[in-house]
Amino acid sequence: MKLDSDNCIGCELCPPYCPVNAIHMKNDVAVIDDDECVECGVCFRSRVCPVDVFEEVVAPWPRAVRQVMSNPLIENPDTRIPGRGTEEVKTNEVTGRIKPGFVGMGLEMGRPGTGTRFTDVQKMTQGLAEVGVNFEPQNPVTLWMTDKKTGKIRDDILNEKSLSAIVEVSFPIDRLKAVLKKIDEVAQQIDTVFSITTCVKVLPDGSLPTDKIFQELGITPYPDSKNNIGIGRPRFNFEEGT
Amino acid sequence: MTHSLHRLGTRENLSHDYPLICMAAHGINEEGAAAKMGRFLEICQRHGPVNLGDMKQGNIFVHDAEDIIRNITNTTLVQVVFDDLAKVEAVLRDLVAENFDLSVVVSGLTDATRECCQKVGLEVHTVSQSLGIRGNISRLPSREVLEITTMCGHGMTASGLVEQMIDDIKKDRSTPEKAAETLAKPCECGIFNTTRAATLLAAAAAQ
Repeated sequence: MKLDSDNCIGCELCPPYCPVNAIHMKNDVAVIDDDECVECGVCFRSRVCPVDVFEEVVAPWPRAVRQVMSNPLIENPDTRIPGRGTEEVKTNEVTGRIKPGFVGMGLEMGRPGTGTRFTDVQKMTQGLAEVGVNFEPQNPVTLWMTDKKTGKIRDDILNEKSLSAIVEVSFPIDRLKAVLKKIDEVAQQIDTVFSITTCVKVLPDGSLPTDKIFQELGITPYPDSKNNIGIGRPRFNFEEGT
Repeated sequence: MTHSLHRLGTRENLSHDYPLICMAAHGINEEGAAAKMGRFLEICQRHGPVNLGDMKQGNIFVHDAEDIIRNITNTTLVQVVFDDLAKVEAVLRDLVAENFDLSVVVSGLTDATRECCQKVGLEVHTVSQSLGIRGNISRLPSREVLEITTMCGHGMTASGLVEQMIDDIKKDRSTPEKAAETLAKPCECGIFNTTRAATLLAAAAAQ
């Protein structure tokens, strides 16, 4: 994002709009801290500036990582989904992405509203690789790994910052306790926050295979959840794997 | 992932917050999906959503709803949010009646959402749950601000703007409803719940 400070009238309207506090006033004009800016485009699209000092520019690599991960209006060329998200549970009745006996998990680094460097994302991917997880192939973070066995992310993007980045994995349900323990360890080593999601297929009796494990661990999920209601077609056949 | 999950709140205020998402499975049923997502939004619109949007275009606080529906593409996601579960039930009933066949997810209070699905003959297939926030939580804003900002799962609604809106309401420069609309605009996809936000803003300003 470019901000033409020479034409700024110092109205101070724009700084509150920045989700990562990268805009501030200096010598009575607004300036952007380029290192903190995640290229989300909120300042530009809000049209809050009365004299249009913001200009959205196409960022070159590796800064382009910030744009594609932080601006949800941009379709990721690899996943063909707008923004940093993936299909995950949304289409599971059609794709069979999350299978019975497995847990899908998303660690959204930098959420809520804090942002993350990829150095912190890599701490999580490398930690999870140690306890044996499958990284989701159709996920931007996985696509930027140079070694999926170790969770190593390409060096040229490690200092880039995005509004968030989702580490998406799956593993057999009997690994859940070990994975959560490792996540708690990594949580002590990073400078940002992250939100944890678990995804499971509902059991025939209507319960979730994770219910008992969370109870044993003293974990209480949020009272709200995200529910795929199973109406998409053609329906994935979980018994035959097709 | 999960932009309609991780909405921080109490059971009481989450009982007025139900985002719905519709999308195609890419490479499987994406052909013709644009028209189906348009139909999904038309059905939702009939039952009075609080907000509505397309991930690639934006929401109804920035664009006209008819323009959004007309310009949907096969690979996008469309979203709506309702403040009343009875309206969600009515939408689901219409979708079932039409044999709607793109994937739909409903977020909201787990027990209430499941009961709503059962009433129209649907069984929840797969569930995402939030285990909360970890890491350096000293960097987070206050809970009252988070309950509002987490309604934008992509993090577009800034905590600084929420704090400014609360201050504006306190100083009679804005109303909770007007402030909620200001906060909904940056949340492009359309799942920011302005009804719930106005209630939360009014409560925060009254403190």
